[in-house]
Amino acid sequence: MPDSAPHKRPIDAARFEVVKNSLYSAAEEMKIVLAKTAYSPVLKASGDYSCGIFDVAGNMVAQGPDLPIHLGSMPDTVRAVIEVFPDATPDDVFIHNDPYHGGSHLPDVNVVMPAFFGDRLIGYGCVRAHWADIGSATPGSYGAVTEIYGEGLRLPPIRLYRDGKLDPSVAAIIFANVRQASERQGDLRAQIAANRRAVARLQALCERYGADELLCIMDAVLDYSETMMRAALRRIPDGDATFEEVLDGDGVIAPGATEDETFTIRGTICKRGDGITIDFTGTDMRVAGPMNAPATVTASGVFGALKMIADPQNRIPPNSGAWRPITIHSVPGSVVHAQPPAPVVYANHEISLRVSDIILGAMHQITPDRAVAGSQGTGGVVIFGGRDYRTDSVYVSYEVTKGGVGARPTKDGINAIAGPLANQMNTPVEILEMSFPLRVEEYSLVPDTGGAGRYRGGTAARRSWRILNHDAQCTTCCERTVTAPPGLAGGLAGGAARIWITLPDGTSRPVTSKGAFIAPSGSLLTIDVPGSGGFGPPAERDRAVLREDVIDGYVSRESADRDYGGLGSGGPQSEGEQR
Amino acid sequence: MAWRLGIDIGGTFTDVAIVNEVTGGIGVVKVPTTPGDFAQGVLNGLGKALAVGPVDPAAVALLAHGTTVVTNALLERKGARCGFIATRGFRDLLELRRSSKASLYDLLQDGPDILVPRRFRFEITERIDAQGEVVLPLAENEIPRLIEAIRAADLEAVSVSLMFSFLNDAHERRLGTRLREALPGVAVFLSCEVLPEIREFERASTTSVCAYVAPLLTSYLARLADATAALKLPPLHVMGSSGGILDIPECLRMPAAVVESGPAAGVVAASLIGRQLGIADLISFDMGGTTAKASVISGGEIAVTAEYEVGGAANAKRWLHGTGHPIRVPVIDLAEVSAGGGSIAWLDDGGALKIGPHSAGAVPGPAAYGRGGTRPTVTDANVVLGYLDPASPLAGDLVVDRAAASGAIARDVAEPLGVSVEEGAAKILEIVNANMCEALRIVSIERGLDPRDFSLVAFGGAGPLHAVALAAELAIPEVIIPPAPGAFSALGLVASDVKRDYSRTLYADLGTIGPAQVGDVVSEMEADGAAMLARAGLAPEACAMQRSADLRYPRQAYELTVPFEGGEVTRASLDRLMTTFHQRHEQTYGHANPGEPVQMVNLRVTAVGRIPAIRIRQETQPARRDVRQRPAWFPEVGTVMAAVHRREELAPGTTIAGPCIIDALDCTAVIPPGWTGRVDADGYIHVRRS
Repeated sequence: MPDSAPHKRPIDAARFEVVKNSLYSAAEEMKIVLAKTAYSPVLKASGDYSCGIFDVAGNMVAQGPDLPIHLGSMPDTVRAVIEVFPDATPDDVFIHNDPYHGGSHLPDVNVVMPAFFGDRLIGYGCVRAHWADIGSATPGSYGAVTEIYGEGLRLPPIRLYRDGKLDPSVAAIIFANVRQASERQGDLRAQIAANRRAVARLQALCERYGADELLCIMDAVLDYSETMMRAALRRIPDGDATFEEVLDGDGVIAPGATEDETFTIRGTICKRGDGITIDFTGTDMRVAGPMNAPATVTASGVFGALKMIADPQNRIPPNSGAWRPITIHSVPGSVVHAQPPAPVVYANHEISLRVSDIILGAMHQITPDRAVAGSQGTGGVVIFGGRDYRTDSVYVSYEVTKGGVGARPTKDGINAIAGPLANQMNTPVEILEMSFPLRVEEYSLVPDTGGAGRYRGGTAARRSWRILNHDAQCTTCCERTVTAPPGLAGGLAGGAARIWITLPDGTSRPVTSKGAFIAPSGSLLTIDVPGSGGFGPPAERDRAVLREDVIDGYVSRESADRDYGGLGSGGPQSEGEQR
Repeated sequence: MAWRLGIDIGGTFTDVAIVNEVTGGIGVVKVPTTPGDFAQGVLNGLGKALAVGPVDPAAVALLAHGTTVVTNALLERKGARCGFIATRGFRDLLELRRSSKASLYDLLQDGPDILVPRRFRFEITERIDAQGEVVLPLAENEIPRLIEAIRAADLEAVSVSLMFSFLNDAHERRLGTRLREALPGVAVFLSCEVLPEIREFERASTTSVCAYVAPLLTSYLARLADATAALKLPPLHVMGSSGGILDIPECLRMPAAVVESGPAAGVVAASLIGRQLGIADLISFDMGGTTAKASVISGGEIAVTAEYEVGGAANAKRWLHGTGHPIRVPVIDLAEVSAGGGSIAWLDDGGALKIGPHSAGAVPGPAAYGRGGTRPTVTDANVVLGYLDPASPLAGDLVVDRAAASGAIARDVAEPLGVSVEEGAAKILEIVNANMCEALRIVSIERGLDPRDFSLVAFGGAGPLHAVALAAELAIPEVIIPPAPGAFSALGLVASDVKRDYSRTLYADLGTIGPAQVGDVVSEMEADGAAMLARAGLAPEACAMQRSADLRYPRQAYELTVPFEGGEVTRASLDRLMTTFHQRHEQTYGHANPGEPVQMVNLRVTAVGRIPAIRIRQETQPARRDVRQRPAWFPEVGTVMAAVHRREELAPGTTIAGPCIIDALDCTAVIPPGWTGRVDADGYIHVRRS
């Protein structure tokens, strides 16, 4: 507890620590309740959700160990509810998913529950969970449309529970508009249960310490994070840097064009003392397809990346206080500051992940020993939907496949693992096949996709699905098929993404990296997600390590010769050549 | 007269606890751990225990052992040269894992540790689908090439985990048979034998952990079995990670079940004394020569996790997904830090004093042990400050050399920092105590438990030296010093039941599955369990089978483990199981959906062979009332003459005020100024603020 933090009253240092950790463990418990009782595979197995505890003003006090990608927008989500419903009662539950009211994209449904101790409002629980479907023309709601109206059911902040009971009219509207309504109902129940856990934990803390003390500590936790973040920023040198990245496109091919058109995001950092400003001036304006990020989604990318740079050991509790030293400028209407009715669904991960890579690339110029080379930088989403021949019921399967973490200043990247900002898990193949009419035929590492360098980038993963006994409606959302993950400090780029389909007659062809198509029965869809960039000149790679990489097949002989200038003396031992 | 012997290998000492089954009286023998060959230390200790008891080997009713062989092999990467065979398309399963990172924000975090290098990962063409049907038959013609590759790579062990083998194990068993025939010297582990459960990565990981440690564990246990047989002792049992003991053949069938063998014993012992003393909420604190471990017993229940990862970078400090090797067996949940009596004090490049993670271990040991150690350790600091007695022989017949301890601290710590030797020693303790508070915080404060609601049970050779200082730091009101704290884990070994956990996936709708099908699976596991208990020599009346089922709503991904009644499986018993599930779901998560069908995923049987309970007492002798003292330094008061008590002379009802020191052969306890110890009827010392 720093002495400088302005409290309304003195707080015992030990009690502060216990209550702070109780708030964070409450947020973690919310996560456990959600993960263990939700129905959508994207929630239960992949962990695409975030849980938080908020103060009466809507500041996020504690986030569970969830997705950094949701850091920025969750507080606005709760504030939007407070604005519309300043008169919340203990019997209320609110729901909304509106990206233009602090949401992220329509599939991310937020359930907000006020917590009362007696008559007194003491805070809010908020659970954001990615529903596998929220309506629209395509299963999974990931179509390449040109207005938010086409992206599915849009819910501004509304009251879901009135007098402690689910409002049947609201429920009827929601479940008439989404696929697999019974599965969505299961997800919603899990979200409400997770919020109830938050409310119960907050009430228990009030019983033990008193509401005044709890609110005072919640406030102090925000100040504590701010103080810690400012101290961490002071340890980083001052400087200015600009980094930009070119994105593949928005999934919508313009009239007269034959290919999706690329666009640019540019970020300029100005770091001074204990504060930092990020200016996105120079970024392209709105694109037609759903690659427009609400400002809060962009903020998540900025906050997450800066926390990684400033606080790699995660000593600063991630909450609204931690972001006070950070200022973001962006032009309204640009792809990092969407305005209605621009469509947004892909941008939630595709823009925020790239913003994070841009921040890391720029920070490398200011503090070269802290940043990593370009990582996967895309969700790598593949959605299948249709009718399961085994049960004659509608299904939607939403999966993300992870590429690599970029090479670091002192070590290699990590193969096929969630990159910065993301942390979803894969769906176990056996669970997937039990649930959906699909068979995974390959899930493996892809050689030569980790960018060459003194330190090699993490390699990509390949996943391929056989479509069994039905024609599946398939949607993809993947970036970096055109611009590969960049290397840093002389390191080479990692492998770009590829998606293709092999039809039952054996012919193969590439498919769109963003948008929907029909995958016929018996066909095989394969995605190679991006790898990640290398760090430092490949010529400086330790030859012994390179030889091991060749023996293990992470790097081919050809790549060793072409990208690294050969294996040097020795060559790979014979034992690795058999397989 | 019947005896039980428990042998626990620590980083520094190997302890043998000798318990009289009738009186609960205990004796302790300590010998140095022999890191090059742990079995040698065990045999030294056993020989000495039988001699000093004296104990007639024929009168030994139970011989149990806690071993760190498996954990060490994984942490130090000293396991077998190991291969992995998967269904074609999936050879990278062990590296792809679940694709999430251990730490959300650490850009420099290490990637996960992988037991099988990619060059030793093989594939075979075959496929079984989600209904258990063969989609592609096993490619028998590929087997000779696999065998040749395994031979050429000179592998010692191979794990095999094929898709959906938990539904249909024909391919896996056929491949296993061919491999075992052709490669008699190679340990072959099949996932359908180790863990027939859904989820390919977790199943493959558990199977591979078994393969990786099996050759080492086999030779280690074989040597111990031969030697104990030669001493005419009963068959050896080994502590399992979930807090029960197993016989040797069972360990070798499922090496993953003994991963946290040693640490589990201490927590079991702590829970035993919690029951004995009627204290439901305890933090167990175990500090030995190399590490300190903390675990929580809340409401009398030991914290057990089903999602454990062994080895890996983050595991030294706390349980984290993403760096170690998941094993799907129940494991006692604990936090561990590299802080022990042997932890070395050193100055980093910036001139800051650090303690550990390197330990002087048993060899060369602390400078004070005069066994070749020259670097200052936590033990040396305790000697310099007067807590450890330079005049009397320490455990294992060691004589403490105070001059050597001072010299090492002066040279490496005090002089570079420009402070006195005592101040240098005090700083060493301050830092190591802060490191250990971290482990206590992880299991209490970080989980929202207030340490002020708990008692701290302090054990391990160094635990009672440091415990009261830690309690003061965390405002824990009471420290309990049990009998024989220095060999407390060894006591836990002889107080445990024989126990083995079995599981089998049965993926079905609970509402419509035939009771006979459930009955068959359960009976099969119970037959395995009964055979295991019979082999272990337990009378049928001491044996019990506890059934449970992993259940969920059909579209959930995680199961709740729900107890399931014994006896014949009927429609009615399955319906009661379903009702229990809805109730448990409501209790655990705050909501249930009784209208919905229930999915059965796994059936579990825990086979338990009850061993008669013992009441552990500290035997005391009439006290000689001559007051002894020695100078000792305390931060609050500087150097004072502290009263010195012999543990065995502290009669029930005695009250002793700090500052004082309690010497025993196996362990020294320190009560600082402001704290008072009270000896209860069984000889346990309860230390509270005066």
